[in-house]
Amino acid sequence: MKRKSKFPIIYLILITLINYLPILVVVVFSFNSSKLSTVWSSFSLRWYEKLFSNHRLMESFFNSILLGLASTGLSAVIGTLGAVGLAKTNYRTNKLVAYLSTLPLMIPEIILGMTYLAFFSILSIPFGFLTLLLAHTAFCVPYVLMMVSARLVGMDQSLEDAALDLGASRKRAFWDVTMPMLSPAIISGSVLAFAMSFDDVVISLFVNSPYFNTLPTRVYTQLKTGVTPDINALCTLMLLFMIIVMVFYFIISERRKKR
Amino acid sequence: MKKKMSIALGIMLMAVCLFVSCSKKDKQELVLYTWEGMFPQEVLDDFAKETGIKIIYSTFDTNETMLEKLSQADGGTYDLIIGDDYIVDAAIRKGLVQKLDKSRIPSFKNINPLFQSFYFDTKNEYTVPHGAGIPVIVYDPSRVDWEITGIKDLWDERLRDSVALTANYRVIEGITLMSMGRSLNENDLEVLKEVGKKLIELAPNVRLIDDSTSHLALLNGEASVAFLYTSQATAALNENPNLKVVFPAEGLGVGVMDFFIPVKAPHSDAAHKFIEYILKPDVSAQCFNFLGYYCTTKAADSLVDPILVPPSFFNGEIMQNISLEADEQQNKNWVEFKAACN
Amino acid sequence: MGRHMIAGDLNDDGTVPKRRKTSPYIAALIPLYLVMILLVIGPLVYTVMLSFATNVGNGGFSWKLTVENYRRMIDPVYRVTFLKSIQLAFLSTLLISLIGYPFGYWMSRLSKKWKKIMILLVVIPFGVNSLIRYYGIIILLQSKGVLNWLLLKLHLIEEPIKFLYNYSTVLAGMVYGLLPFMILSVYSSAEKIDWTLVEASRDLGATKTEAFFSIIFPLTIPGLFSGVILSFVPSMGLFFVSEILGGNKIVLVGSLIQDQMTRGGNWPFAAAIAVLLTIVTSVLLIASARISQLQGETRKGNNLI
Repeated sequence: MKRKSKFPIIYLILITLINYLPILVVVVFSFNSSKLSTVWSSFSLRWYEKLFSNHRLMESFFNSILLGLASTGLSAVIGTLGAVGLAKTNYRTNKLVAYLSTLPLMIPEIILGMTYLAFFSILSIPFGFLTLLLAHTAFCVPYVLMMVSARLVGMDQSLEDAALDLGASRKRAFWDVTMPMLSPAIISGSVLAFAMSFDDVVISLFVNSPYFNTLPTRVYTQLKTGVTPDINALCTLMLLFMIIVMVFYFIISERRKKR
Repeated sequence: MKKKMSIALGIMLMAVCLFVSCSKKDKQELVLYTWEGMFPQEVLDDFAKETGIKIIYSTFDTNETMLEKLSQADGGTYDLIIGDDYIVDAAIRKGLVQKLDKSRIPSFKNINPLFQSFYFDTKNEYTVPHGAGIPVIVYDPSRVDWEITGIKDLWDERLRDSVALTANYRVIEGITLMSMGRSLNENDLEVLKEVGKKLIELAPNVRLIDDSTSHLALLNGEASVAFLYTSQATAALNENPNLKVVFPAEGLGVGVMDFFIPVKAPHSDAAHKFIEYILKPDVSAQCFNFLGYYCTTKAADSLVDPILVPPSFFNGEIMQNISLEADEQQNKNWVEFKAACN
Repeated sequence: MGRHMIAGDLNDDGTVPKRRKTSPYIAALIPLYLVMILLVIGPLVYTVMLSFATNVGNGGFSWKLTVENYRRMIDPVYRVTFLKSIQLAFLSTLLISLIGYPFGYWMSRLSKKWKKIMILLVVIPFGVNSLIRYYGIIILLQSKGVLNWLLLKLHLIEEPIKFLYNYSTVLAGMVYGLLPFMILSVYSSAEKIDWTLVEASRDLGATKTEAFFSIIFPLTIPGLFSGVILSFVPSMGLFFVSEILGGNKIVLVGSLIQDQMTRGGNWPFAAAIAVLLTIVTSVLLIASARISQLQGETRKGNNLI
């Protein structure tokens, strides 16, 4: 790190900017008075009004957060444990399981959704939160599993061994040595998992019940009437929400570090 | 710490499950299952206020998702559904629909007979229409300096790379059939192969094929002609009144959406009440003005936006299910057509 | 379940490694195995069965077994669609890797504070649903859009350019949508690199490039590879990118399946396409896993496929 080139920084900034352009447009157009989402007419707050007057949307917003957190939590635990287990055991079936775990990404959503619908009906699991949680967990696990597995490869085993030699229990060694090393991968995986859960429409539509709807299933079923800018408004609020949560997380973790 | 968290998570999950299953045992309710945005919120709220029935509004994206969920639920769970004509046909034939108790729907007489007695419900026992559409050609006279009169004109060389189409293959192949003087519901494989060839000839003119954005393409200058569903045409006209609407000279295809009550609907009483409520002229008018489809309640014709009153020549052909072989041929045509457009 | 020792599993000095005492890790694997058996194998079996069922139209089918659904795919139309779809997926994965790898790698070289900020910046866009982000791209690229307006103002062009509804826009859309997966994958494997090793090699006279290819790159292969999976697999099926940005003119395997599942109403055929898609994708991924394993270093412990 002697002669630091500026190029990497410029590259990071440039790509990030490009990445944010379409989102900026979405935010701007949420203040568009026209009903048509791609034609600008004039400034207005009507879509925010419409959004807030729709209590069904608000309810499903909380449902989505709840479901997202639950399925992310569940898949973070299953995925991390699984990745560690796969790396440290040598069963013949391990490779098969690692492969199988990527299947929910390969099978198109609409097929997967239809299959879960039939499958849960056969098992007579009542549709609702539980079926949504199961289905979402199935397609969230691979993200965590893959990220953590990639990080485990070539990770220094000697540290954990050293801890064991020094008399730490296996559990202790895992929590104090392995986990901190894995945390960046767990965080990236969980973040992706949450995003996927929060974004899912097709599978959720198949396995939900009339009493538990998620936000995207409310918004993206406007096929007959055309997508209206209240969705832009909703996305803007979501963005704001994400930013607030992230900034809080950032401040808290910075503060904890200082102590 | 992790343990505590997982316990907390577990408790949270259980609480949610309990909460969800408890809220089911509410007093009177109506489980309505259709697309989002089919009714203005005020209509739903007023109904709830008037009758004390709580509306559980559940949504689907495609007709097929709805039919599969309904059949997996054995015709239960849902009280009232709105779907497109062809899927209502499938639901009735699968025995998933119950006969309406017309004595509980005095306003049944308000329905425009033009939208009744279709092939799927010839005796009007099962369904109540809610909105109809005729796909039409809409074009921008500022970019097309000649008059478009029919489907045939879409093939005109002057429209190179400037036609926007909807993405339903039955609709697009249907109008191609019409332009050949055939029925929308043609089953003859030789004729359908001919349709495939004809479509390939259309390919150079196609700018885009999409269900959700083709009317936007007409407005933002990406396309100068578009073949649009009724709601899209209405939305485009509201934005740009200079656009011209063409009812194709070759004939019209008609689509209709219908209410039906599933055979094991838990609250069929509430469902009947809701239909009756919607069929009142003023409520109907409110609904159709919001929805942008042709008004199917005759009694409300004088109350709706004039462009939503079905035109006097509204007697087009309705799309029906065709034989499996014919459908297969149409699908193949469609894939070939899309690939040829690029 | 037998355990099998392979030569590569021994430590460098030839002793049996400690981690072979596997018993405590069985428990860790149970939840994953459960999920796989219940939520992956079950549906997979169902899909395969469905692909042999007989279509009766409108989403209906009967369990009379037939190979008709597979026979139908011999038709050149479908073969060409598959090939074109694979080609697009390859191209987009290549571009995603070329753009995402340096991003993820350089991100891991930032200070701790900036790393966190960058992760946040990569993640925040997920707050906007992917479909809506693509609508945003339409607004940017349409002929009366922001980009054309800018180019016209700068007098770089005379007439608005038709950016939308062609192959390259779909490709760009794929790259845009899937880039974060690659970035985060590469980042989380590059972040663990022990920089003292790299500096040691530099001290021993290795050039920057040599150090990168001999030490850094091999260590990030697993991350690159999981990024490849996470971008290749979806780009075979993301039909709505072709729908919104490509005007549906680029037919992906995903669009075929979508058409058959919806208005086509032929579910067994859709299932057969999906099974074939899964097989093709798996074969390609296993092949590329083999190739990346041949790169040495990663031979041990790359458990993914």
